Amino acid sequence: MGLREKLASGTFIVCGEIGPPKSCDGNVIREKSQYFKGVVDAVNITDNQTAIVRLSSIASAKILLDEGVEPIIQMTCRDRNRIAIQSDLLGAAALGLRNVLCLTGDHQKFGDQPEAKGVFDLDSIQLIATVAKMNGGFLLSDQEMKKSPEFLIGAAANPFAEPFEMRLIRLHKKIQAGAHFIQTQPVFDLNRFMIWMEKVVELGLHEKCAILAGVMPVKSEKALLHMKKEVPGVRIDDAYIDRLKNARDPKDEGVKIAVEIIKSLQKIKGVRGIHIMPVMWESITPLLIKESGLIS
Amino acid sequence: MPIDFVTYDRPTISARERKVSRFLLFFENIVKVPIFGCQRCGECVLSSTAFICGQQCPKRMRNGPCGGTGEGGTCEVFPDRKCVWYRIYYRSKFLHRLNLLYKLKKIHNWNLEGTSAWLNVFKKRIDPPIGFVRDDSQKIKEIIQSGT
Repeated sequence: MGLREKLASGTFIVCGEIGPPKSCDGNVIREKSQYFKGVVDAVNITDNQTAIVRLSSIASAKILLDEGVEPIIQMTCRDRNRIAIQSDLLGAAALGLRNVLCLTGDHQKFGDQPEAKGVFDLDSIQLIATVAKMNGGFLLSDQEMKKSPEFLIGAAANPFAEPFEMRLIRLHKKIQAGAHFIQTQPVFDLNRFMIWMEKVVELGLHEKCAILAGVMPVKSEKALLHMKKEVPGVRIDDAYIDRLKNARDPKDEGVKIAVEIIKSLQKIKGVRGIHIMPVMWESITPLLIKESGLIS
Repeated sequence: MPIDFVTYDRPTISARERKVSRFLLFFENIVKVPIFGCQRCGECVLSSTAFICGQQCPKRMRNGPCGGTGEGGTCEVFPDRKCVWYRIYYRSKFLHRLNLLYKLKKIHNWNLEGTSAWLNVFKKRIDPPIGFVRDDSQKIKEIIQSGT
């Protein structure tokens, strides 16, 4: 059963995430795929996240598919214009990749090559509409294709950035453009997430697309503090920082916090699943899922 | 159902028209650059973004802010600047034009970059500006209920 069928059947979805290596070593992906086999429903493959060159998302996804794990490719607008985006998507479909997460992408300033030209020909919402149009059998040029790619379209949402209402407008637009599922930024502020979810349910948006809440296990207090200070649009409950600071084993405490967050998220109305995104700590995913009782 | 997203039909811009465009652009720039922060994209949507040019965004987002707007509305790329979409949101709210932010903006036609938006409106290459908006909250309700 693929991700599309699972979303339709209404089961609780669990997604993982792999960051490809900064080299051409495909075995890294093969090794990492072992953590996810039979544990999660699908795995995101990041596309040059934080604007640092890595093994391509589509190539990594193909390796993952061959290993028997369902991948979700990420497609960003930072590096490609509309021609390259459509071409890459057709290539992905030809390789049997069926899930795509549409993102605008981090600005190149955050990477190790800030002097690069950012393309940003489309934005994420226009990318979603482009994929939807391709699903309908047409390229952006209105040229009809003999075979349509039939992608499951994902999009991102950030309930924690300002202004709050604008975030709902963006979500509305993404659904209007054709998104099938939404993955949120990592939840470290449950109150804010619950307020956002209440609004989403009130507007009935949770029925039009599946909302998967982001969960990020962290190894140390330092990582959280770094996120709070350096990463914009992130809200972190200070209680978590204190707990990690006072913990004897911060890694263990990080897992405990993540498990608590997952359990709280499961109870929130409208949340259809979770998306676990450990940064360079993929090996923790199976333990996290077992501890939170999502798999026996 | 996929929405048609690319800009309009693609009329060629003749050499004569370019001259007219350049002439108009002189006056257009005098007005639009200092007042609205116009970036001369030639595909003006100022009237639906509360008269602040959204193209000042480093990512040139046309459909609203990215996920990096920090507390107090700082831009993630240039922290000393305010996110332009943060300003657009609050001014839209003030002017009761929020329903216009719900509208999907078409993919930018780069051929129009640096041409006169006034001429492009006259030639029907782009949508005309939106005038006075009545019943903002009612319109938002309708948009949400229509479900598209």
